[in-house]
Amino acid sequence: MVPAATVPRLLGAGVWPRPLRPRPLQSATPGRARPGGRTLAGAATPAVSGPEDSADISDKILSEPLKHSDFFNVKELFSVRSLFDARVHLGHKAGCRHRFMEPYIFGSRLGQDIIDLEQTAAHLQLALNFTAHVAYRKGIILFVSRNRQFSHLIETTARNCGEYAHTRYFKGGLLTNAPLLLGPMVCLPDLIIFLHTLNNVFEPHVAVRDAAKMHIPTVGIVDTNCNPCLITYPIPGNDDSPPSIHLFCRLFQTTINRAKQKRRQMEALYRLQGPEGLGAGVQGSAASPSLGA
Amino acid sequence: MARSRLETVGSVFSRTRDLIRAGVLNEKPLWFDIYNAFPPLREPVFRRPRLRYGKAKAAIQDILYPEDRIRAKFYSAYGSGQKAFDLFNPNFKSTCQQFVEKYIELQKLGETDEEKLFVETGKALLAAGVILRRVGEARTQKEGSHVSWESEPTGVKPQTVLEKNQPLQEVPQDQHLETSEEQPKGLSPP
Repeated sequence: MVPAATVPRLLGAGVWPRPLRPRPLQSATPGRARPGGRTLAGAATPAVSGPEDSADISDKILSEPLKHSDFFNVKELFSVRSLFDARVHLGHKAGCRHRFMEPYIFGSRLGQDIIDLEQTAAHLQLALNFTAHVAYRKGIILFVSRNRQFSHLIETTARNCGEYAHTRYFKGGLLTNAPLLLGPMVCLPDLIIFLHTLNNVFEPHVAVRDAAKMHIPTVGIVDTNCNPCLITYPIPGNDDSPPSIHLFCRLFQTTINRAKQKRRQMEALYRLQGPEGLGAGVQGSAASPSLGA
Repeated sequence: MARSRLETVGSVFSRTRDLIRAGVLNEKPLWFDIYNAFPPLREPVFRRPRLRYGKAKAAIQDILYPEDRIRAKFYSAYGSGQKAFDLFNPNFKSTCQQFVEKYIELQKLGETDEEKLFVETGKALLAAGVILRRVGEARTQKEGSHVSWESEPTGVKPQTVLEKNQPLQEVPQDQHLETSEEQPKGLSPP
């Protein structure tokens, strides 16, 4: 698992309930008579579940979280104060500053850049929310970093949330030439999380550009010397201090585990209630989107 | 899955959306709906980093506080603080920080003359037991004590000198510290 980007488990792609064609989001008022010639709501029994029902259920499961702004309640996992205590606001010296990081910098204290934690909090909330949704939909998440100090921590984080990590030398065509390097039937990651955007010679990691080429969204911690352009959900923050990286690893681990747990809960809920209970199920689950991790 | 490998053209989302609309890409990727519902604050479009030329400078301000003026005066007069900074303790107060707080206290009481305030704060800190050593005087003291350190008794331990909490005057206190510090240095050379 450690050297390779993807694993034989993924060779059985297509098992997951992904929508086979682009479907518009269903309205929030179920209970109408559906086309298909089944019995009306109220008379249908939960035991009878044809392919249309399971498709409807899976659509409901997938579309329900998108209606809430913070379905997984990621806001409660951190605060500006906790980011400050973990030294996330400390950037590099003013000479190392990247031009595109200037909007995210609060100021410079005696030559050292200080990152604006208000912006970091907003970006972090979006990024964690996106990660949670991807994990909820059973997407493959890959943690990438080339900083040797934290490679063990990142690998254990990935193992603890059941996802993948690649903290070793990134071979040239790993994403762009995957069928040749990894085998014929290989699934690429659905999300790449960069804990360090730069490699060991302070150049942008190859995977940033390759993920943009292969239409893979990325979440990344960008320090004051990094280029945040190609990263879909950048998180301006310190990527050199141990407390900062420990905090981010903990946040990602908690979010992903929470999202997977939520998915199991939702599936159990809808399976129990069956097609006629979908209306009540939506209201019931909407009332309590948060849960104790 | 059809892809366009043009990372410099638009964002990942715009390219995927256009491929779907053109009918080239048949199935929507996993993250498409999520991105639609929760887009990032800035669309991740490629930009070429260009250098700044001439007198154009970044619009980042320096972070300065009014207490920095007091700190500058403290460090020019007394050099770096005698007490080492303990960064493990989040509520740690260094000598400089204590000086600044005392200075502001005295300023609030009504004093306006800066020189006077400086001297008053120094005295107040000495009364509280904090040792302050001026930079200029320390240099002359060192030259004077070099001549006499051999005749000092070697049994004098540095800890006994520092444990004394008597409100001594500045000059003899400096001499004691100088000699006690010179001895450990003096024992090592042949």
